[in-house]
Amino acid sequence: MEIPYEVTPRRDTGLYNAKLGVWLFLASEVMLFGGLFSAYVFLRLGVQEGVDNPWPWGVSVHKNFVWLGAINTVVLIASSVGVVFAWVALKERKWRQYQVLMYFVVACAAVFMCLKTVEYNSKLNHHHGIKLTDNSVMEGTILDKTDRIRFNGEKISISLQGALPAVLRDLDSDDFPEFTVTEGPEGTVGTKLDSASSFSSWFAENRRMIGVKLAEERKRYRAEGASGVANPKPVSVTTSAVLTASKPFAIHGSPRKIVGHSDTAVNYKDGVKLEGKLISDDVTFELHEVDMQLVLPQSQRESVVWNVINDEAAKQQFFASQSRKYQELVEYYGKRDEVIPVSMLRGHYLNVNFVHVAAEGHGHGEKEKAHDEVHTSEPKKSAGAGGDHEEHGPSRLITVPRDQIKFMGNHGPRYGNYYAIYFTMTALHGIHVVGGALVLLFFVVFGKKLYLKNPEHLANRVEVGGLFWHFVDLIWIFLFPIMYLL
Amino acid sequence: MSAATADKHAEAHGEHDHHEHYEPFWKKYIFSTDHKVIGLQYGFTSLVFLAFGFFLMMVMRWSIAFPDRAVPLLADWPWFQAWLDDGGKVTGDLYNMFGAMHGTIMVFLGIVPLAFGAFGNYVTPLQIGAPDMAFPRLNMASYWLYLLGGALMFVSFFLPSGAAKAGWTNYSPLATTTDLHYGDLFWTGQTQWLVGMALLISSSLLGAVNFICTIINLRCRGMTWMRMPFFVWAMLVTGFLLLLAFPPLEVAAIMQLMDRLAGTSFFVPTGLNVSGMSFDAAGGGSPLLYQHLFWFLAHPEVYVLILPAIAIVAEIIPCNTRKPLWGYKTMVYAVMVLGFLAFIVWAHHMYITGMGPAVSTFFQTTTVLISVPSVILITSLLISMWGGSIRFNVPMLFATAFIPMFGIGGLTGLPLAFTLPDLHLHDTYYVIGHFHYVVAPGTIFGLFAGIYHWYPKITGRMMGTVLGHLHFWPSLIFMNGIFGPMMIQGMAGFHRRAFDGGKAYEQISNQIFAEPNGFIANICEILNIIEPDAAVRMIDLNIVTSGSAWLLAVFQVPFIINLFISKFIGKKVTSDNPWDATTLDWATPTPPPHGNFYTEPVAYRGPYEYSVPGAATDFTPQFQNDPSALTSNADAHEESDRETAAH
Amino acid sequence: MAEATHDYSKHKKTYAAVGIALGVFTMVTVALGLWPPLDFGPPGPTASDFVLGLAVASTKASLVALIFMHLNHERGLIYKLLLFTFLFFAGLMILTLFADFDPIREQYDTFITTKGWLTEKP
Repeated sequence: MEIPYEVTPRRDTGLYNAKLGVWLFLASEVMLFGGLFSAYVFLRLGVQEGVDNPWPWGVSVHKNFVWLGAINTVVLIASSVGVVFAWVALKERKWRQYQVLMYFVVACAAVFMCLKTVEYNSKLNHHHGIKLTDNSVMEGTILDKTDRIRFNGEKISISLQGALPAVLRDLDSDDFPEFTVTEGPEGTVGTKLDSASSFSSWFAENRRMIGVKLAEERKRYRAEGASGVANPKPVSVTTSAVLTASKPFAIHGSPRKIVGHSDTAVNYKDGVKLEGKLISDDVTFELHEVDMQLVLPQSQRESVVWNVINDEAAKQQFFASQSRKYQELVEYYGKRDEVIPVSMLRGHYLNVNFVHVAAEGHGHGEKEKAHDEVHTSEPKKSAGAGGDHEEHGPSRLITVPRDQIKFMGNHGPRYGNYYAIYFTMTALHGIHVVGGALVLLFFVVFGKKLYLKNPEHLANRVEVGGLFWHFVDLIWIFLFPIMYLL
Repeated sequence: MSAATADKHAEAHGEHDHHEHYEPFWKKYIFSTDHKVIGLQYGFTSLVFLAFGFFLMMVMRWSIAFPDRAVPLLADWPWFQAWLDDGGKVTGDLYNMFGAMHGTIMVFLGIVPLAFGAFGNYVTPLQIGAPDMAFPRLNMASYWLYLLGGALMFVSFFLPSGAAKAGWTNYSPLATTTDLHYGDLFWTGQTQWLVGMALLISSSLLGAVNFICTIINLRCRGMTWMRMPFFVWAMLVTGFLLLLAFPPLEVAAIMQLMDRLAGTSFFVPTGLNVSGMSFDAAGGGSPLLYQHLFWFLAHPEVYVLILPAIAIVAEIIPCNTRKPLWGYKTMVYAVMVLGFLAFIVWAHHMYITGMGPAVSTFFQTTTVLISVPSVILITSLLISMWGGSIRFNVPMLFATAFIPMFGIGGLTGLPLAFTLPDLHLHDTYYVIGHFHYVVAPGTIFGLFAGIYHWYPKITGRMMGTVLGHLHFWPSLIFMNGIFGPMMIQGMAGFHRRAFDGGKAYEQISNQIFAEPNGFIANICEILNIIEPDAAVRMIDLNIVTSGSAWLLAVFQVPFIINLFISKFIGKKVTSDNPWDATTLDWATPTPPPHGNFYTEPVAYRGPYEYSVPGAATDFTPQFQNDPSALTSNADAHEESDRETAAH
Repeated sequence: MAEATHDYSKHKKTYAAVGIALGVFTMVTVALGLWPPLDFGPPGPTASDFVLGLAVASTKASLVALIFMHLNHERGLIYKLLLFTFLFFAGLMILTLFADFDPIREQYDTFITTKGWLTEKP
């Protein structure tokens, strides 16, 4: 028996199998994205003012990329139109037209993904932020991986159980120092290791040996316990080792792998301890803006950030700009609403506490003033289009001591919940775009055979693929305003 | 099987045989698209996982019953070297790992695949008279995704970090911050749990789409909605539960994966400290969000676990009482209402998270409401037996035992539905006892019943009765031996996560209640909270529970033997319908070939026409030819549909 | 093959019109977000912005669903399916929020939080 209703619809349901199937699948997709939208609403409404990072305004995050988002919307809509027309072309049995339209749709998907890449790249590689101990935030760019801890190691203490220590990957394999085992399991002291591969084979061998020894010791211990020895000798096997390097070796440790460091030691997350000498753990930062949204208004003048920037002019500039912005904000919106909510007055979304700090010598230049005025008299527009100052405005280089930093990172998913959900949702949507485009591509590249055999079947497939594609478009229709504009 | 249809089979044999002959082994049994083979694959894989999950639990039970003795037999296994302590005792880490994985494996890799994947796949298309599932290749993909997810879960035991240890619920932020010190974050147990879950969820989603589509679109001629066997209805509702409830868990898994790998803080609150150090994340997330997303799935999941079992029992009881299913329509509506309500009761798992009174009231109300359709289902099954002349064969024994066992499980849930008793009972063994009464003697008995019931259709031979009895009676006794004491311990306040079986209670008792008239002892007495040493007196019940668990394992051996040897030495069935049942699955040849039916099946009447007055036999199968039944009602519509399709 | 001769020119016109409408609505969405005269209520994304923005998005979404996804030609089955999906989605979102912003507990929470500096005017 053949499976019925593969091409023709069933009378009482009015659907052929694939169409019913895809609608069911879309229902589950609604719940998938629905869950994420729920998470978005939950997290956004759940922001506790003054405790959590404030939820940024999409426009002020994306700046000139808002237009990229808008273009992407149009691109997806065009591709959606393309799919329905391709379906109609199949229904009218116009193969050529179908081909052209389908390739157009796939091209649209490619354009969409390219624009997305541009956007991601900017956020991941060019925008960083540093949150200081009193929650003031500096926005700008961390230079040349200076967020890493630079350290000259001389001695490594490792455990010979578990995985290979992460520090090995931070070592320069071309200039590998010669390690001598100074403490360790019996018979290993004095071993010399002069390359990463010899290190790892030594490690693996000892890990195995320790496993064997432990097993023997435990067996003895249990046997003694069972035979009634009053105080059996506890199991003791040396499982750690200390290696001394022939010459100091430089380490650029990623802060995510390191849990603590001092002038003479670095502790890795996996328990490895490095002894030696700290070269520097300061972060060199190209400062663009100072953001005081999380600092109490009365403590803003005493904020740590001014010690870090160490320039009275910048401080004056900040507060002058801040009070001007308040004034203009109240003037601009006061007419409309008698009561402006507290969070609005604090400039939650309009960046009243978010001020561009110019480099020395440019403190009160004409350009800056003009910029600020635009910023507040037409808050939305300027915020939307005013992102360009980061590329063009002069900035200052500052050195941020590590102990003043509470949190730092690029504007990637780690940076805050807005970024997290933005990246999660757009990436998931991007996967759907790629998947949908691949399926549609398959229908046009390998569709000819089926077209000649049963064009209606191919039309059904395109309709079903199209349904998915429209759904992807539909998700973006909601994602765009929620992520970019609101 | 009527003689007339048997003849048709014989005729049809000749032309259809070539279908099966040229398929190589790997295509026929490994990468098969035949729903029956996939059903069997699901069945065997899930039985293996069930055994594995049971093994984990037996080790845990040792630690609970005899916390200061070395685990017998296992201490010399290389894998256990790393996880047992020097004296060969279970460590807290090992207990946590096994506890988390026992839950995960039993629920997601054991029972759901066995109930939904195996029985659903094998029986549903047969019962609606379909040649296969609507999307056979999708069906195959669903099985392989499941196997891959299961393999990842299994492999995670052998990673340096071991498998997941944060409980089967994997609550954040514990699950987010566990094992973060391993260099390769991707290959840690916690991360692999999430990846494995994502695969299992995808598998279930594909399965659900396939099931619903099959049931809606592939019903044979005459199979109207109200002629579908109850089993099919339950599968339809289960399919919808999976389809709509699983995606939020997928969201939760993705978000937790992001938390672990990309450093986001979806579920990490501001100012989180881990082991005394400030956790390096932006903060601002909500651990509660995870619980909402998780329980939005995990509550409907309970019904995914139980509905197939109820459905199997609902097939077996009418067949063995030779009476129609009592209240078929009521049961159908009840199962739909149950499915709907299942989506809006989830937060009763979260009463102690500090939800407000208003929302607690809402969830208490819906939770109590959902017991109404459950009770309707069970009552209907019970009444179905009333006045019947019951054939107590092995499947019927299991089906009969299912009803009180599920009843106990359900009724002990009522105290948990209310916030106040839940404050006391939350996270105690009472919860464990309640849930396991529902799924272990409940669902698993239902599934055993199903295996014994459909075995003759699958293999052409009956399973042995003696071994069946040797399996059933001890299982019944020891199931209660395990979960009954848990209820008692739970009410005395035993916490579920104590890996040493509550030694701490002894300590407290020794220190605080040492003097009979001490301060705290007096307060306890005055307030009448609980007897001071109630928990201590319950500690010995641990041994009863653990002993029952190991004995239960022993008495599964007859079942395993029975399952394999009956294929070769079981009594051969003499007809395609050995139980004299009425549904379409018994109209197929034994075992059913690829494509199931040689001639197009037609359903002429309802699914449970047993002992119809005036009928020649005490059962009137759906497929027994009766042209007047077809054209006399709504099927005229479908009839014309056929003509158009043929045209 | 009878369907091949079905006249699709009318459909094509509808699809093109809907495509253009969607483009226009996209511009409206952007304008609502970026153009100050269209910013109602207090500054920043506030309730009115959300209502307007989501209303436009919903309109676009319904156009896509009804016309492009042929929902206007479908029978009840799909509608029932989508109705339940939507109900459960709404349940997930609303009940989750309800659990966190319980009206009774809210009073207690407000009491706790308003003691802090949050209420102070800058």
